[in-house]
Amino acid sequence: MVLVTTVRDYINRMLQDISGMKVLILDSETVSNVSIVYSQSELLQKEVFLVEMIDSISASSESMSHLKAVYFVRPTSENVQKLRYQLANPRFGEYHLFFSNLLKDTQIHILADSDEQEVVQQVQEFYADFVAGDPYHFTLNMASNHLYMLPAVVDPSGLQRYSDRVVDGIAAVFLALKRRPVIRYQRTSDTAKRIAQETAKLMYQQESGLFDFRRTESSPLLLVIDRRDDPVTPLLNQWTYQAMVHELIGLQDNKVDLRAIGSLPKDQQVEVVLSSEQDAFFKSNMYENFGDIGMNIKRMVDDFQQVAKSNQNIQTVEDMARFVDNYPEYKKMQGNVSKHVTLVTEMSKLVEARKLMLVSQTEQDLACNGGQGAAYEAVTDLLNNESVSDIDRLRLVMLYALRYEKENPVQLMQLFNKLASRSPKYKQGLVQFLLKQAGVEKRTGDLFGNRDLLNIARNMARGLKVWVENVYTQHQPLLFQTMESITRGRLRDVDYPFVGDHFQQGRPQEVVIFMVGGTTYEESRCVALQNSTNSGIRFILGGTAVLNSKRFLMDLEEAQRISRSGSHMV
Amino acid sequence: MATRNRTLLFRKYRNSLRSVRAPMTESKSGVGPVIEMASTSLLHPKRSYTPVSTEDPANSSKGAVTVGLPPDWVDVSEEISVNIQRARTKMAELGKAHAKALMPSFGDGKEDQHQIESLTQEVTLLLRKSEKQLQRLSKGGPSEDSSVRKNVQRSLATDLQQLSMELRKKQSTYLKRLRLQKEDGGDLEMNLNGSSSRAEDDDFDDILFSEHQMSKIKKSEEISVEREKEIQQVVESVNELAQIMKDLSALVIDQGTIVDRIDYNIQNVASTVEDGLKQLQKAERTQRSGGMVKCASVLVILCFIMLVLLILKEIIF
Repeated sequence: MVLVTTVRDYINRMLQDISGMKVLILDSETVSNVSIVYSQSELLQKEVFLVEMIDSISASSESMSHLKAVYFVRPTSENVQKLRYQLANPRFGEYHLFFSNLLKDTQIHILADSDEQEVVQQVQEFYADFVAGDPYHFTLNMASNHLYMLPAVVDPSGLQRYSDRVVDGIAAVFLALKRRPVIRYQRTSDTAKRIAQETAKLMYQQESGLFDFRRTESSPLLLVIDRRDDPVTPLLNQWTYQAMVHELIGLQDNKVDLRAIGSLPKDQQVEVVLSSEQDAFFKSNMYENFGDIGMNIKRMVDDFQQVAKSNQNIQTVEDMARFVDNYPEYKKMQGNVSKHVTLVTEMSKLVEARKLMLVSQTEQDLACNGGQGAAYEAVTDLLNNESVSDIDRLRLVMLYALRYEKENPVQLMQLFNKLASRSPKYKQGLVQFLLKQAGVEKRTGDLFGNRDLLNIARNMARGLKVWVENVYTQHQPLLFQTMESITRGRLRDVDYPFVGDHFQQGRPQEVVIFMVGGTTYEESRCVALQNSTNSGIRFILGGTAVLNSKRFLMDLEEAQRISRSGSHMV
Repeated sequence: MATRNRTLLFRKYRNSLRSVRAPMTESKSGVGPVIEMASTSLLHPKRSYTPVSTEDPANSSKGAVTVGLPPDWVDVSEEISVNIQRARTKMAELGKAHAKALMPSFGDGKEDQHQIESLTQEVTLLLRKSEKQLQRLSKGGPSEDSSVRKNVQRSLATDLQQLSMELRKKQSTYLKRLRLQKEDGGDLEMNLNGSSSRAEDDDFDDILFSEHQMSKIKKSEEISVEREKEIQQVVESVNELAQIMKDLSALVIDQGTIVDRIDYNIQNVASTVEDGLKQLQKAERTQRSGGMVKCASVLVILCFIMLVLLILKEIIF
């Protein structure tokens, strides 16, 4: 609830004190921030009758001076330039400027200079600079996500921009929550260390006045970690509703674009919304696995058919009146049912076509259980199977390589060769690149639970439990272990040091975990389930993007391409 | 949630920059200095003079500081919202009248009925008028602010729909309670009359007894006819409102669907504008290339040439 509510509060405050007809102007990033928490009908209630993008405003020339303009944009230099031009030739009666992050003094100076007509009534900073998709999960939707994998020397300015955007996003989250945290980072990641240090500098030195909030009993914790510590989670196929939709079709800003599948009849909806705030069925089913979802949907369809039947049975005037009364509810229910049925049908088709049940079983074995020989056999069989797609083959080999990197290098080589011969589309050496980035030497956490005896024993116990639960959802992301360590107060200083001279006494009550490189919906599910156990600690998860296997592989390829071209230059 | 107000700093910069700019712009058109001095006179009310504006009014309208005049359709939309407000107050009165009519009373209750009737009619009339005006709002033809107009229409349609649903709910509950009352009232009357007739049974003979019965039956008939009429009227207004709701539901946004997303609406506007542009270009091209007139004129000229040649041939030979 937390993050979604704060962004909504910001937007409410922006609009409530301005009377009359308004136009809301957004940029390409804030449009996601706003659309995901605020609906068009709510905007209409607040008398916002037009929404435009800051890029397209200068194109139109008609003056609408009866409207008051409310700008909500990021304080980038491009936006400031566009504002300069628009303030010099104002189209609207009044201008109220709201920026989603900290403004530099020079930028205010530039704006003041261009406001010759004195149309600007207020300039404020409202820190809603993140996309709050779920109650405890936010993302920054960053485009060039692959930069975190590259060393700083390759593209220093690009990495600086990347790091600045992340620091801005994290700062906005804490300003929205009105907290100043103690900061820890993952030792093995340079990018994480850099971001942690720059965030600390911002919060404790540069803008220490702004962040000087009322001190609570225990400071909250900001933990900056790197995606490469757990490369397994984004590669796995998912079987819980929200994660599965993102993995198979793609979920962007809580919207699903069904055009990617391309097999729908003409009159079907092409884009649907999957939001836990607005859809009660989705809220209760987003973390359930596929089998349970099927049953729940069937139940929902049965209920709906009953209602539909009673609606057709109209005999008296009273029935008619009742039908008209209930029509909006009926229409909403119909839309909802058809949306979920379409989604599940499409996903079932994809599962069938790509033989994902078979592939996923091997994936889960690779991720969770032992037995190098058996794993090798299974992976080879699937590589030979014609109906397995290229991306699935690549994922299998990657998972095998991550698990058995050091065992039996001969067989590993054989798998590489087989993959190269079967899937020429994928660049050579992507798997090796992954190992270089996220191999066993680079990782901090105990990803496969085979580093010490305690973990091996825990794994065996879990193996027994699995026999009862679903085979396809046995994997627990590494994040789960990290959260457990924090809950027990046993997060090792060696692996996750504090920035500077920060210090934490006891356990924190609020923890924000930021994953550089992106989060997955499996991890956000893990966080939501952890929060529901009422352990006394509230976790919030954020990342630079929300990954599925396609996106993760894309980032890897891009990073590989750049590092290759870089090495050629050297 | 933390916020930071930068308006003061902004105003400080703006004022200092303005004073830097003021001596420079006296050579340019008089727009700048006039406005600046006008605003400084607002800031420093002690100053007794206001400068006479010497530049032409066309220039000064460009730098309007205040909110300008809205276009005509805004007046229509304001009228609609005023009507909706009036309908709301009338509905509150109607609710009170309903409650009063349902209370058991000794009188005939005819004035209550009349009041309810008139109020219901007024509200229905207001709603219907608002709906017609709403339809008119969209007919004004495409213009630059058509999306603003569409959104205003949508929000008014939502309010209207809510009001009509409220009205129908009120009416249906009133109907129900009325029906219950009718049955109870009828029984009560029957019981009263029945007991009185039993008391007088011994004294009167059959003919008078049947007269009593006849009058009793007639009276209950009248009452039921009246109630029927009322119910019929209420049902009629329910149907009217149903019609209004059907028309409105086309305008109102379904909450929770993709149409209710801000980013979808922005994209759609962009893509429909693009599509519109493409269509226009295509139409232009076909119009230009389909030069039927050109073809026809060329053919006519050819015909004339042939005619002339023919005549010449005749003349020569």
